[in-house]
Amino acid sequence: MSLMKEVRTLTRGRDWRGRTRTPRSATAWEQPAPRKEFATGWARTPVANAVRLGLQRGLLKSVAWSQTRPVVEGLDYLDGLRGPAVFVANHSSHLDAPLVLGSVPRRFARRLAVGAAADYFFDVRWRALVTTLVFNAFPIERFGSKRLRSLAPVLLDRGWSLLLFPESSRSQDGWMTSFRLGAAHLCCTRRVPAVPIALRGTFGAMPRGRNWPVPGRRKIVIRYGRPLWPEAGEDARHFNERLTRAVARLWAEEDIGWYQALREDAKAVVVRPAGPPAAEWRRLWEATRPLRDERPRAVWPGSRR
Amino acid sequence: MSRPGFVLEVDERTPSLLVNEGDGFRLERFPLGTRVVYPPDVLPGLRDVNGAIRRALFNPVGSDPLPTLLFPGMRLTIVFDDISIPLPQMQTPDIRQRIIEQVLELAAEAGVDDVELVAANALHRRMTPTELKRAVGERVYRAFFPDHLRNHDAEDPDRLVHLGHTNQGEDVEINRRAAESDLIVYVNVTLTAMSGGPKSVSVGLASYRSLRHHHNVHTLRHSRSFNDPPNSAMHHSYDRMADVLGEHVKIFTIETTLNNEAFPSHVGFMNKREWEWSLLDQASYLSFKRANDMTPPKLRREVWQRSYAPYGVTGVHAGDPAVVHPLTLANVHRQQLTEVDGPSDIGIWGLPFICPYNVNSIMNPILVMSLGLGYFFNLYRGQPIVRRGGVAIFYHPMPNAFHPVHHPSYIDFFDEVLAATTDPAAIEAKYEQQFATDPWYIHLYRNSYAYHGVHPFYMWYWGAHALEHVGDVIFVGANRKAAARMGFRSASTLADALEMASDTVGSSPRLTYLHAPPLTLADVR
Repeated sequence: MSLMKEVRTLTRGRDWRGRTRTPRSATAWEQPAPRKEFATGWARTPVANAVRLGLQRGLLKSVAWSQTRPVVEGLDYLDGLRGPAVFVANHSSHLDAPLVLGSVPRRFARRLAVGAAADYFFDVRWRALVTTLVFNAFPIERFGSKRLRSLAPVLLDRGWSLLLFPESSRSQDGWMTSFRLGAAHLCCTRRVPAVPIALRGTFGAMPRGRNWPVPGRRKIVIRYGRPLWPEAGEDARHFNERLTRAVARLWAEEDIGWYQALREDAKAVVVRPAGPPAAEWRRLWEATRPLRDERPRAVWPGSRR
Repeated sequence: MSRPGFVLEVDERTPSLLVNEGDGFRLERFPLGTRVVYPPDVLPGLRDVNGAIRRALFNPVGSDPLPTLLFPGMRLTIVFDDISIPLPQMQTPDIRQRIIEQVLELAAEAGVDDVELVAANALHRRMTPTELKRAVGERVYRAFFPDHLRNHDAEDPDRLVHLGHTNQGEDVEINRRAAESDLIVYVNVTLTAMSGGPKSVSVGLASYRSLRHHHNVHTLRHSRSFNDPPNSAMHHSYDRMADVLGEHVKIFTIETTLNNEAFPSHVGFMNKREWEWSLLDQASYLSFKRANDMTPPKLRREVWQRSYAPYGVTGVHAGDPAVVHPLTLANVHRQQLTEVDGPSDIGIWGLPFICPYNVNSIMNPILVMSLGLGYFFNLYRGQPIVRRGGVAIFYHPMPNAFHPVHHPSYIDFFDEVLAATTDPAAIEAKYEQQFATDPWYIHLYRNSYAYHGVHPFYMWYWGAHALEHVGDVIFVGANRKAAARMGFRSASTLADALEMASDTVGSSPRLTYLHAPPLTLADVR
């Protein structure tokens, strides 16, 4: 074999330094190094707070309110509420957090941190930076794989309110899934109230897979409920049930009205809106049905409403 | 701690891999998915070898300490492994020299006068005085050669003694001096799992009459493999003979194991995994390969034969052979054993320049066959790396060359016997006796430096199990005439060999390459 051929055989697959990658089957298995937790403390400094409030109210809210038609109800329930609280909402769209942040009273908005999935929002640095700055997000481990210590109790102790979505992930079909115990557990152990919020229409306005609301400025309802306090000796499981029922009642208010929802709740008829037990397309069909629009009809047909 | 052995699966990241081919080597690009069996990394050698030997002699297993076995007026015979081991030869001082010197120190202290040293060469050629000196060292050589440092002569009726039969009727006939000694001290070097233990005395000091009971086609076909003593009919025979020996002689054995450091530092790339080659290794490969390819064959052979291995000693155990040997085997396995998941359709082996029978000699085609289908094919435990009916591919140029002094019977075996048949059983039945008792071969064995007349037969039997197991044998780069004489096919490249093999195993076979160098024992599950 000529020298050149020999050199070619030798250098094939090697770089200019003569190095080659280790074949996959020869790579030693190593315990993956624990990922460093993304620090979020900087996002709660006064400067970051000011920048965030500007972004939330100036950019985020204007975009959300220009692309959808949010109707905010029940804010009066928060009038007497002071101190930190855990805002708990159903979750079916990326619009949910901006809508709550844009609608919550300013005294809460200034000191509100949002729990965000560690594996989704904190997997790459740039996304973690943007999420932390804009939403004052902190990582929440959904699957218990990395054994992060949650920041939530620390934040509550420091007077920050939290916005949590206890379903842990956006709904696949627009209907509510069961609440995990984390939010209820926080309320019970830290003795803070939970504010139930029902978000209706966000799935139809911007479902999973979309990164911009659908055209047509869909109606969205953000309905706040009366704050719930954990009772003395109440355990997280029981409080979670109450919380779920409260959100379900707020959800039902959109369809059957406030008083009827109260009545049904009293009769224990209100259940978690899990959608019709039907084929997937029918569940999606129902979930994306536009909310009833109560604006007056056009007086003259063909004129702009 | 050394890394364990492992099975590499060739992927697109895998560079070309080193393959031995006689007095040379090449880089070969294997098809994706080929499994490559690597042994554990070279184990660190003992730092204080002399200390380890001393400890072993004073704290043996299954025996009293050596000094207590020595007494004035006794007949002491020190037997040592011949030149067939280790391979390549080790850098001096040879481990045998170190051990023999310490044994002789103790014998001198005990006032032993009647000491003989015997090389356990069985039917191998006699070791030359230079080779003896290299193995036992200058001091021992001067003190004992030529009267008391000798080669074993398996054809001297006066110096053999028949000790009896095993329970299966096998003759046990060994060297008279050893048999009539008060103590045999056996100095062993174990490189592969087949050596040592009961084999040492019952083979090394035996005669043809005794050896024919285990060196035959039937036994070798039922030794699966002969590197796995519990499953080797050959070792079962050794064990039976060792029992008979045990009734007549006292044996104190000293077994040593070596690591896989078979090449000096200037060819250090031979012992490295290819993707870990530094620029220096690559430069060393290129320059060494170019120089090697350009060197005339005779000189090249000389250069390789004079490349002595800087082996490290990984263990020294002494005492009762039956108790010592398992410890030795564990050390061999620690260095060579790699677990493999099942056999494949094609097994690939690169054959080196040396086998036990061409030290300071020429590797003739029969030895190539014996090295490939005998030694390397049998480097397994459980089952061969190639399935029954699969194809064995070997790399060796297989020059049609014989050493006229060392291998005279090989020449006749090649020209006359193999021209008639290559079937081991037919060869054994028709020709073995004739060669084994030929007076000219016996004369050359005893007085020249020739292997015994029957030795080429044993080499052929050595491959009997493989010949029965595989469906086809292909030699890459081999001399076509020589390969054809032995019933094998020759291919120019691996691609050609795989193409030829597709007749037997189809067009998408599973391949396994037993990476050598260094030595690897595949534990095929």
